[in-house]
Amino acid sequence: MIREAMRHIPEEELHAYLDQALSRTQCVEIESHLAACDRCRLERDAIASLRDRTTALLATLAPRRRIGPSFELLSERAAARSARRAGRLRAAAWAASVLLAIGIGWGARAIEFQGAGPAEAAPIAARSEDPAVEGPLRDSSAAGIELAAEAPAEPAVDRAAAPRSRSAPAPAPRQATGNAREAPPLASSPAGRPALSEPSATMTSSGQLPSESFNVATGTLFRTVSWDRARFERGESVPRIAGLPVVEVQLAGSRGDDSRPLMVVAQQLESGQVIRTIEGPATDVNQLLASQRPDASSPWPTIGDDGIAGADGAMAVRRGDRILAITAPLPSDSLRAMIRRLNASERQGGESGQ
Amino acid sequence: MDELEKLYQTTYGAVVRFLYRKVWDADRAEDLAQEVFMRLFQHRPEKPRAWVFAVAANLARDEARAAIRRRKHLTLMTNDPGQAPSRIAAADEIVEHDEQMAAVQEALGTLTHRDQEVLLLWDAGLSYPEIARQTGLAVGAVGTTLARARRRLVDAYDRQHLDDSRGHAAHS
Repeated sequence: MIREAMRHIPEEELHAYLDQALSRTQCVEIESHLAACDRCRLERDAIASLRDRTTALLATLAPRRRIGPSFELLSERAAARSARRAGRLRAAAWAASVLLAIGIGWGARAIEFQGAGPAEAAPIAARSEDPAVEGPLRDSSAAGIELAAEAPAEPAVDRAAAPRSRSAPAPAPRQATGNAREAPPLASSPAGRPALSEPSATMTSSGQLPSESFNVATGTLFRTVSWDRARFERGESVPRIAGLPVVEVQLAGSRGDDSRPLMVVAQQLESGQVIRTIEGPATDVNQLLASQRPDASSPWPTIGDDGIAGADGAMAVRRGDRILAITAPLPSDSLRAMIRRLNASERQGGESGQ
Repeated sequence: MDELEKLYQTTYGAVVRFLYRKVWDADRAEDLAQEVFMRLFQHRPEKPRAWVFAVAANLARDEARAAIRRRKHLTLMTNDPGQAPSRIAAADEIVEHDEQMAAVQEALGTLTHRDQEVLLLWDAGLSYPEIARQTGLAVGAVGTTLARARRRLVDAYDRQHLDDSRGHAAHS
């Protein structure tokens, strides 16, 4: 590069030289030139002092030295944040499978969730999650799964009657009612009453969520309506889990604005346990969920904008000013596993053309 | 000692300084530096040192954008087009520093964004190849840029100092 003393070293090369950014060979070339060239030596000294002055000037631009947090503290905080993030992702995956199961009525934004759903849902066998499920709930979870996957006697009729498309109508009222009668009595279900066979609406004063101690803190009046009525009022967007018989549909009174009122769709597992899907204006659903958990020890969190929340017994996802929630007397893991299995069997059914 | 712990112990101060020279607020610089390292511990990238300064630069840029938005908002609120809140805010900050610091800050402000970036990254301890990667310059151009940046910083500072001494005859 520098073959003769006539060619002086360019300024930037001297900077790089002093910054130790040159290769060994380049350094040797420069040093041999410097040894023979006064002008470049002077230039090098000038640049060295410029460099030092720059460093000195920049050194004044520093805040008073304070001791940062300890490495341990900061890594703990980072780990906590990772865990929160993982929790949110799990919740999002859960919401994805719920939306997949419930499908319609949740608009275009629900669709973007669906991409995450199958990947999360498909390969996971419910058995692998069983350790997380306790005692009797293990059975209920398994029962729900079998109902969906194996399609035993009576629900099989329902399933045959209801095509697997998400826009399909839910099982016929009579079959659903029959199923409810055979099941163990439910505290939360009107005992022995064929909930969906009456075309006219009856007034009830309770939201009748799975919790037996549900109280009507919301002051909302609910009508139990027939399936046809529900479909008439809400069209395709009756919130429900595909593949499970519907035993009851309840509709809150109109709020007097244009928004569709809160709707609760109860569906039954073969074990007799009831899963309720709730869809409605965010404030109403929040109130209902809060009133369902009267124990202050684990209050249901208010679901903020576009939030997802989950706890044992219920899961919810919010889109704008509406919330879609699912409640069941199951721990969240079982609920999640069940939804996954329903999704998987829905897909299988669709693929094999059953 | 974990590699990241070592990096944290040796680089935290440099990251705070690097950020401080961009946001000019000591507390904010520390907050952002801690954010940078928390992200580092979460992501564990392959080249952690370069990564740290790249993230720091990004955070500082976001911060600057937010500051511009705040200033615009403030301008709307004060409803006084003749008054530039940014100047006032800057002046308030400067009062807290000593005079020399303010002078250097102003001198640094006369450099182009790219010159500043390269100079600050160098001062933070990054190598030429690391600086090149972060700024998108060719490695060969880093020396040229640094040469220019150093000259301009010192020139701007000296010019200012000269103006100052003319202004106050007694100034040392």
